[in-house]
Amino acid sequence: MKRILALACASALVLAGCGTKGGGSDSGGEGAGGVQTDVGVTDSEITLGVMTDQTGPFKNLSTGITHGNELWVKDVNAAGGICDRQLKLRIVDHGYKADTAKTLYPQIEPNVLGLVQLVGSPVTAALSGDLESDEMTTTPASWSSELLSNPYLMVVGTTYDVEMIDGLSYLQEEGMISDGDTVGHIYIDGEYGANGLRGARYYAEQHDLKLREVKITSSDNDLTNVVTGLRGQGVKAILLTTTPTQTGSVAAANKALGLNVPILGNNPTFDPLLHQSPAANALDKLYVVASSVPFSADIDKAREVARKYEEAGFTEPPNAGVPYGYAVAEVWGTVLRKACENKDLTRAGVHKALQQTTSAETGDLVAELDFSQPGAPATRQVYVAQPDASVEGGMKYVKPLFESEDAKGYKAPHQQ
Amino acid sequence: MSDTGTDARATTTAPPEPPQAPPRPTPRRGAQWWVRKALWLALFLVLLALPLYLEAQWLKAGQYMMVGAVGAIGLTLLTGQAGQLSLAHAFFLLAGATSYTVLSGPTGDPELVGFGLDPLLALLGAVAITAVLGLAFAPVAARLRGIYLGVASLALVFLGLYLGQSAESLTGGTSTGRPPATFELFGFPFSNDGDLEIAGVPIRETERVWYLFLALVVIAFLLARGAVRGRIGRAWRAVRDNEASAAVMGVNVPTVKAGVFAVSSAYAGLAGVMTVLWFDILKPDESEFGTYGINVSIAYLAMIIIGGLGSVPGALVGALLVNGLPQVLALYSTQLGWSTGTGEGAFTPILISSFVYGAAIILVVLFEPGGLAAIGRRIGQRLTFTRRGKE
Repeated sequence: MKRILALACASALVLAGCGTKGGGSDSGGEGAGGVQTDVGVTDSEITLGVMTDQTGPFKNLSTGITHGNELWVKDVNAAGGICDRQLKLRIVDHGYKADTAKTLYPQIEPNVLGLVQLVGSPVTAALSGDLESDEMTTTPASWSSELLSNPYLMVVGTTYDVEMIDGLSYLQEEGMISDGDTVGHIYIDGEYGANGLRGARYYAEQHDLKLREVKITSSDNDLTNVVTGLRGQGVKAILLTTTPTQTGSVAAANKALGLNVPILGNNPTFDPLLHQSPAANALDKLYVVASSVPFSADIDKAREVARKYEEAGFTEPPNAGVPYGYAVAEVWGTVLRKACENKDLTRAGVHKALQQTTSAETGDLVAELDFSQPGAPATRQVYVAQPDASVEGGMKYVKPLFESEDAKGYKAPHQQ
Repeated sequence: MSDTGTDARATTTAPPEPPQAPPRPTPRRGAQWWVRKALWLALFLVLLALPLYLEAQWLKAGQYMMVGAVGAIGLTLLTGQAGQLSLAHAFFLLAGATSYTVLSGPTGDPELVGFGLDPLLALLGAVAITAVLGLAFAPVAARLRGIYLGVASLALVFLGLYLGQSAESLTGGTSTGRPPATFELFGFPFSNDGDLEIAGVPIRETERVWYLFLALVVIAFLLARGAVRGRIGRAWRAVRDNEASAAVMGVNVPTVKAGVFAVSSAYAGLAGVMTVLWFDILKPDESEFGTYGINVSIAYLAMIIIGGLGSVPGALVGALLVNGLPQVLALYSTQLGWSTGTGEGAFTPILISSFVYGAAIILVVLFEPGGLAAIGRRIGQRLTFTRRGKE
């Protein structure tokens, strides 16, 4: 017995003698080229983090975004890097699980300057506080304007609420709806749907529309009964903040029930795969509003990215995540170059550079972005597109980038 | 633990089990007793020292195991000891999480309800509220048994999903969620505020929360062990093994059933409070799968099955495996630079851990229905025999 106690005491002493983890301070310093640096930047490398979903429900889109990020890094490094430093990505998979992400974050945090990609609304919510206290500039793969309460989250593109407002003014401009009409809005409960609904409510208030709200969950795949209900209420248009499968169901029901009203959807409501679905012939009434382009859109830059994607030999079928991932990284490039000009590549320096970025160009992959106003969406411009199976990318643009008057006047929830 | 040796039996139809070990002479405490105590003490000391050595990410993973441990102890009492199958654990987790956030939330917010209570009071309040909710479920529990009870309790998870989404003034809604108040103990904050160092290690939020969770696990563990070994534990097992004979022996079956539901819910409520403190946010799920979804109820069942139904230390080990394995694998493989592939076929740690955890359940159920607790018990006995032989 005594022997064991002695053993326990001895081992405790040994442990105590082993030296603790203490003293790990990451004080900033001056690096090569007279540039201030702290975390994730050495004299030859800038490391950016990617927290993505390679195994969970959003694995297709996330993999596309990751490949877009990788393509950009390759291009930039071939052109000599940024601030005389090569760029490096540190990629981790959290499988869309907030708990895994929460433990992986402290591991990746001391090694990266910022996060180029953070997938998943539960994950983003769980990490939001950490990102703020670590001053970690991060691009979430979500476009909810609610996220903008955190100044370190950089949303690349138009937020869902503004998309809806722009889209509704397009419908009105084209004479498809008019003041006082009844419109239905089908939305998935959650960050995505609630934000789209916010925009529709704003527009309805401005134009005296009667908004019929229908809340669904992301797993409801047959929406015929919902559309039947909306028909009974005499809607003039149906708004969607849903998944592509649900869009297909609504479009098919719209046609089959003889309702035939225009359908307006947020960016994520459409997927080129819908052209191969049973709803393929019912998509002619669908209008999609978006600030980023689909894969192989009819834009020079998008074609270039598509070509590089093929050359890189990735095996997955490409999707809209690829040009988006490339565009996001390009915005990061603009911000990092700005920070380099300011001779400050610290986290705080990057954040300052972000706020000084008033016109980030991505070759029209995403509308031009202005991050100088805290809490406000970086752009309010959208494209309006219609599904067209004959066009590459499955979409034809019916209206180029524009910003409606209503969207200009809209105050986002955290806008100051 | 031979006095809880009958834990392994889960089915209500199981014949009474013969005592596994000969009754120990109570007056003299043998070497074995001391060894056990010393081992527990050593484990406790190691756990106390860990924050001085481990990096924040490992502590974070460890804390998550502790959250699981508290919840699993609660479920093993209900399902293992008292034989009540429950899939409602995730609901009580959500109830505890919401109660804590609301009770400790700031008053005067136009959109969110908050009572501004002291966080310690809020924690106790959350545990009390979930216990009451568990009691409210008692009428159902009293009428149903086995798989029927499991399905009925599953309804609560869906109720939680609905309420979490619609009661936005309490939960903050699925769109944004709401942050919980930082835990404080008599004015000492469990955050990064204030300078505190032990042996040159700055004790910041992660380390402080580790000690808080460790204290909660120890309390939860000791209370559960006490209950299992005492009169109430015997009543639970009597109800589990045969309700009629339990009633004959003077056990008030409905009261015992209601009581164990309340106890188990209180544990789940505490685990819920720990969950929000760990995530730093209360965010109700958008679908059936999430932080408070069916997957969580099933994960807790998996913990107690792997650990051995009814065994309190087994629940700890089960939580270690189920909540810890994905985290530890993910951390290790990232650290070692494994699986950096980004393509479709990338074999990531998340994938591996789901395989391991599935295999663990199948292996346990096939080869050792008593779970890891039974294996531990057997090793313990073998060691005892060899030692006795030497003496």
